[in-house]
Amino acid sequence: MSGLRFGYGINRPRAIDIDSNDLRKSNEILREMPELQTCIGCGSCTASCTAGNLTEFNFRRVHTLVRRGEYRSAYEEMNKCMLCGKCRLVCPRGINTRGVAMLIKRKLGDF
Amino acid sequence: MTFFAPFTIPFIIGGAIMAAVLLAKYTLWAVRLPREDKRLIRRNILSFKSLAALWEVVRESLLHVRIFRVNPVLGYMHSSLALGWLLLIAVGWIETVAYLGLRWVPLQGHVFFKYFMPVNGITQHKAGFELAMDLLLAVVLSGVALAWIKRMRSRIMGLRRTTKHVLFDRIALSALWFVFPLRYLAESVTCAIYGGGSFLTGSTGSLLASHLDAETLAAVYEPLWWCYSIALGIFFSTMPFSRYMHIFTEIPLIFLRRYRLAPGIEPKSYDHFEVEACSRCGICIDPCQLQSVLGIDEVQSVYFLRDRRYNMLQLSVANNCLMCGRCQTKCPVGINLNTLRLNSRSRMRNIPNEGRFNYLSGIDRSSGEGRTGYFAGCMTMLTPRTLSAMDTIFRAAGDDIWHADRDGGVCCGRPLMLSGETTAARKMIEYNTDLFRRHGITRLVTSCPICLRVFREEYALDGIEVMHHSEYIRMMIAEGRLQMRRTDMRYTYHDPCELGRGCGIYDQPREVIAAVGELVEPAHNRRDALCCGASLANTVIDDSQQMRIAREMTGELEATGAGTIVTSCPLCYKTIKRAAGTETKDISEVVAENIFQP
Repeated sequence: MSGLRFGYGINRPRAIDIDSNDLRKSNEILREMPELQTCIGCGSCTASCTAGNLTEFNFRRVHTLVRRGEYRSAYEEMNKCMLCGKCRLVCPRGINTRGVAMLIKRKLGDF
Repeated sequence: MTFFAPFTIPFIIGGAIMAAVLLAKYTLWAVRLPREDKRLIRRNILSFKSLAALWEVVRESLLHVRIFRVNPVLGYMHSSLALGWLLLIAVGWIETVAYLGLRWVPLQGHVFFKYFMPVNGITQHKAGFELAMDLLLAVVLSGVALAWIKRMRSRIMGLRRTTKHVLFDRIALSALWFVFPLRYLAESVTCAIYGGGSFLTGSTGSLLASHLDAETLAAVYEPLWWCYSIALGIFFSTMPFSRYMHIFTEIPLIFLRRYRLAPGIEPKSYDHFEVEACSRCGICIDPCQLQSVLGIDEVQSVYFLRDRRYNMLQLSVANNCLMCGRCQTKCPVGINLNTLRLNSRSRMRNIPNEGRFNYLSGIDRSSGEGRTGYFAGCMTMLTPRTLSAMDTIFRAAGDDIWHADRDGGVCCGRPLMLSGETTAARKMIEYNTDLFRRHGITRLVTSCPICLRVFREEYALDGIEVMHHSEYIRMMIAEGRLQMRRTDMRYTYHDPCELGRGCGIYDQPREVIAAVGELVEPAHNRRDALCCGASLANTVIDDSQQMRIAREMTGELEATGAGTIVTSCPLCYKTIKRAAGTETKDISEVVAENIFQP
C-alpha cells in the first residue's frame, strides 16, 4: 500500500457551531450505537479502509462530522463504503463500525 | 343409513375452512412462481425425481427420520402423531368399507364412525378392527402425552429450550392436545353404552359402565362427541394460520426441492413453501451460539421464519444472526435458513443506486503476470503473515502469480450482500469478474473463505478454476510440487463457517495439516463446528459479545491440548488470536514454515 492515510489532511479552516447544528439525527445515532462515543479518532478505520484506498472516502471524517451534526453529503460519502469490515477489526475501541456505517445510512438517507 | 348429526357441524366447518385456505394458498404460490421455476417443474415432474420425493415424504413427513437422529424420543413423538393419525384415518376408512361394503359415505361418516354404528343399527363388532383402532389411538395418545411432557421438561428430549409460540399456535396446539383425549373419552362412553372396543376404549368403557349408571352415561354421551368435533373444528380452522401449516406444506416442498427449486438472494414465491413448512419444532434454537453463549432469544431461525411469515419481521431480528449455518445443518425440514434470511435483508435494505461505486471504473491495482491469480481478500490484507506465507508457497511451487489486490483491490461483494445490499454488490461482482477476465487467468486462488463463497455462488467464472488456498496447497502437495517436512507438532484445526458449511471444504485443510504434523480435533468440528463470533453477517452484537463467543469456541480448541491452533480464514484467525492463549496460525504459515527443500 502506498502510504497509509489516517484521515488527517489539511482542511480549510472553519468552525462547527454545535448550537446551530441540528443534533437530532446525531443523538439518535449515538443512542442506538452508544459505543461510538468511545471513539478516540485515531483514524485506523480510515487507514485500513478498502474504499479509502481507492478514493478520497474518509470514514473517520464522516462519522466525526455526523456526530457534530454536520450531515451534508454524509449519506453519499457513506455509500462509497464496501462494508468489508476491516475497520471493525482494527478499531482499538472495538466499535461496531460496520453497524455505524449502516446506521448512518439508515438515519441520513431517504429510507 | 344416516351419517349426519348436529354435533358434526363444527368438524365440517373447520374442515371446509382448512381445505379452502390450503387450496387458495398453494394455488396462489404456484401461480406466482417465476417462469424458470415453473420450467424446472415441467421438466422434472415426470422423472424418477418424483418417486424419490415420494419416498422422502414417507421418511420425513410421516416417520420423521431426521428428528429421530436428533433425539429418538422427540422422533417418536413426531412420528407417533403423524403416522399414527394417518393410520387412524386410513384404517378407519377400511373399517367402514369392511362394515358397509364399497359405498359412498360422507367424510363425517368415516371420522365419527363409532358414533354412527349404533345409530345405523350395527351391533356386531369386528374384533380385529376394534383392536387395530385402539392400538393406533394408544400410539397417538402416547405422542400427545410426550408433547405435554416436552412443554414441561424439554430436556428429556434433548432440547434445552423449546419455541415460544404466538397466539394462533397456542390455540391450535391446545385444540390438538385435546383432540385425541376427547376422542378416547367419547369412544369409551360409546363402548360403555353400546359395547365393542378393545383393550383401550373397550376396557375403559366397561369400567365406566360398572361405576356410572345408564342415565349419567347417556347425559355425557352427546356432549363428549360435541367436544371432540369442536376440538377438531378449531384445530382444522386455525391450522393454515398456525405452525401446523407445516403438516401439508412439507409435502409440496419436498417435491419442489427435488425438482431443483431453491431460494435465491432475491425473495420469490417459492420462499413461501419453505417459510410455511417450518414446524417451529425449535431444534434450531440450541445450536445457536447467540442463544447458548449470549442468551439472546427471539432471533433464532424459528423466530425469524415466524416473524417473516406474519409480516412482523424487524431489521434488528433479521440482522442479528451470525449466518454460521449451524441451525441449517440441524433443521429436520431442510429449510435454507441462511438464504431466506439473506433475501429478507435484501428486501429490507437494498436501495438500488445506479451511480453508486462509479469510482471503480478504470481502477486496476493488480500486479505481476501469470495464469494463476491470487485474490488475497480484504481481511487477508490485515494478516500480512498469511500474505508472505503465500508468497513463499507460490515461489516454492514455481507458480507465476498475478496479484489481484496486493496494492489494494475491490471487495468481493459478499459483505454488502450479507447486509442485504445486493444491487450494490453486483457492481463489485461485475468489476472483479471483468478484472479477472482482462488478465486472462485460468485459476483463482483466494485466502478468504468469504470471497471464495461469493466467487463460487454468484460470480460467472467459467473457465477459471476457483480455489481456496488450502485446496491449492493440497493440490500442490499431491502433484509433488510442494514437499513437506514432517514434524512432531500437534495441531488442532478450526473450521471457518464460510469454508466448511459454506463451501463444503473440510478434508483439504486437514490433509495439509496431516502432512506436516499430528492433527487433533476439537469437540465440535466439521459440519458441527462452532463459529468464531466475528462473522460479517452480524451487525448487531458488539465487540464484547463477539469475544464471549470466541472464548467459548477457543476454549474447545485449547482443550485438545494441541500446541498450535490452525485455521484458514483471516477473520477467524484474527478473532482466535485475540481470544486464545495458544499460538495461532493460518494454514499457509504452517505450510510455509515446513516446506522441505532438498
